[in-house]
Amino acid sequence: MVEQTSVADRTGRPCFTAKGVWRGCVEIAPIAALIVPFGIAFGVAASTKGITPEISLFMSLAIYAGAAQFAVLDLWHAPLPLATLALTVFAVNARHILLGAALAPWLLQIPLLGRLAALLWLSDANFAQAMSARQRGELDAGTLFGSGITMWVIWIGGTAVGALAGSLLGDLSRFGFDAVMVAYFAAVIIGQWKGTKDLFPWLTAAAVAVIGTHILPPGWHIIAGALAGGIVGTWRHG
Amino acid sequence: MVDTVAAVAAVLLLTAVTMATRIGGVWIMSYVEITPRIEAFLKYMAVSVLISIVVPTTIAAAPRIWIAVAAAAVVAAVTRSALSAMLVGAALPAAVKNLGI
Repeated sequence: MVEQTSVADRTGRPCFTAKGVWRGCVEIAPIAALIVPFGIAFGVAASTKGITPEISLFMSLAIYAGAAQFAVLDLWHAPLPLATLALTVFAVNARHILLGAALAPWLLQIPLLGRLAALLWLSDANFAQAMSARQRGELDAGTLFGSGITMWVIWIGGTAVGALAGSLLGDLSRFGFDAVMVAYFAAVIIGQWKGTKDLFPWLTAAAVAVIGTHILPPGWHIIAGALAGGIVGTWRHG
Repeated sequence: MVDTVAAVAAVLLLTAVTMATRIGGVWIMSYVEITPRIEAFLKYMAVSVLISIVVPTTIAAAPRIWIAVAAAAVVAAVTRSALSAMLVGAALPAAVKNLGI
C-alpha cells in the first residue's frame, strides 16, 4: 500500500491549481463509479439499523469513510457508546495516517490551505490514483483534491439512494442486505492477506474478539481484538 | 432509537476522529519518521478491527450469514474484487431466504 520511496527528485515544483482540481475530478470518474453500489449498500444497511436517511446522509457527508461508517452501524444503539465508537473509527481509519505519510514528501511542499484540501478528502481510491499519477510526474496536488471531491459526491449520492430505498422497502433481509456489511468486510480482509505470516496475528485478533464479546462491555471486543492483532503483528514482523 | 441531537453530536465526534487520521500522517511526518515498526502496527491494527467485527458477528448470526461470509471470502480470494464479493455475499443469503432452502 505504501511502498513509496523518494519521488521528490523531479523537475518542476509541486503546486495546487484549479486546472489540477478539474483534472482530478475527471480522471477518477471511472473508479468513482464503482463505489455507487457501496454507497447504496451503506444507505440500506443504515436504514435496517433504524437510522434515519438524514443521519446516514450526514454520516456520508461528514465522516466520508466507508469501512468506518459500516463499523459504526454495529455500535449504533441508544445510549450511543461514544468512547467505543471513537476508538473503533480511529482504528479502522488509522491506515489514513500511512497514506498521509506516503504523500508527505509531495504535500509538505505546497501551501497549507492546498495541503489541507487535498488531505481532508483523502480515501484509499484517490490515494492510489494520486500515487500512480505522482510517479508519472504529476506535481499538481489539486488533482488529489479534485478526485476526492468526485468520490465524495458519488458516495453521498449512493447513500441517499440506499437510505431512501431502505426506508421505502421495509425489511431488506429478503434482498440480502443484512449480509452486505459482513460480506464486504470479509472481502476486504481477504484482500489484505499477504501470506502465512499474517495467520498468527489474524487468529489472535479473532480469538481475542470472540472471547471479548463474553467478558468485555459491548463493543470493546473490537478494540481489544484490534490492539491484540496490531501488537502480535508488530512483535512478530516489526 | 437514538435521538437526533445525540446522533448529530456522535457523527461530529467521529468526523473529528476521521479528519485527524487524514491529516495526521503528513503532520507526523513533518516531525518524525514513521518507522517500519509503527507502520506494521498500524497495518495489522487496521485489518484486525475488521476481523474483530466480522468473526464474532458471523458466529452469532444465522447460518445464511455464515454462507454469505464464506462466499464473499471465496469470491474475494478468486477475483480480488470486493465489489463482486459483496454482491455474491448479499445475493446468496437472499436466495436462501426467499427459496427457503
